[in-house]
Amino acid sequence: MQEVENDALNQENKKDNRVYELGYLLVPTIKEEDVPASYGNLKELVSSFGGEIIMDEIPKMINLAYSMQKVASNARKKFGTAYFGWTKFVMNGDQVLELKKHLDLDPNFIRFLILKTVKENTIATKRFVRGETYHKPKSKNLENETVVPINKEEIDKEIDALIAV
Amino acid sequence: MKQDYFSANNIKYIDYKDVEIDYKDVEILKRFLNPNGKIISHKKTGVTLKNQRQLTSAIKHARFLGLLPFIVK
Repeated sequence: MQEVENDALNQENKKDNRVYELGYLLVPTIKEEDVPASYGNLKELVSSFGGEIIMDEIPKMINLAYSMQKVASNARKKFGTAYFGWTKFVMNGDQVLELKKHLDLDPNFIRFLILKTVKENTIATKRFVRGETYHKPKSKNLENETVVPINKEEIDKEIDALIAV
Repeated sequence: MKQDYFSANNIKYIDYKDVEIDYKDVEILKRFLNPNGKIISHKKTGVTLKNQRQLTSAIKHARFLGLLPFIVK
């Protein structure tokens, strides 16, 4: 009986599991060599909360569209650049709240955003701009067709017939 | 010709239930901002109301993370 109950509990937990996306900005004071390390730490953190990572991107240095402020240890700091990265993961709803609380205290993050999303890739793939689409030449048909020798007299006759009309 | 940029270009993720336009597609989102950085109304963009709502929230998320400006001076 207990097993059955456990299974039921597991299924309930699975139902609560959703796909989330965490977008974040890391402080630019981290050295470029240390970025993969903090990225690895974040991955470990997500998995420690029972998250299963689906997709992610290594943080990249970007210029922020506006300067951001963050108060850390009673000092206000301004940032014009940051490392922007994101991860997608499956997690229980309650665990996400815990993760959020944990990230709030992390001094390496300027800001982060947790969103509900889906497993599939949501970034639109690059498309062809209209007018630049390339059509395959119909080379196969050309090979099969035998070139008909041009008969000048026949053509002349046809032209005459057209003019006459 | 379809007026809606997203359905016209067959941007598929709109079809999934509960999915919003991705806030990381900054290049697409920029098309829907005016020179001051304001969101262009659906009257002018020609985007369907459903997509316009998603577009708006995507732009706001991108603004929060500093990918798009709140205002261009």
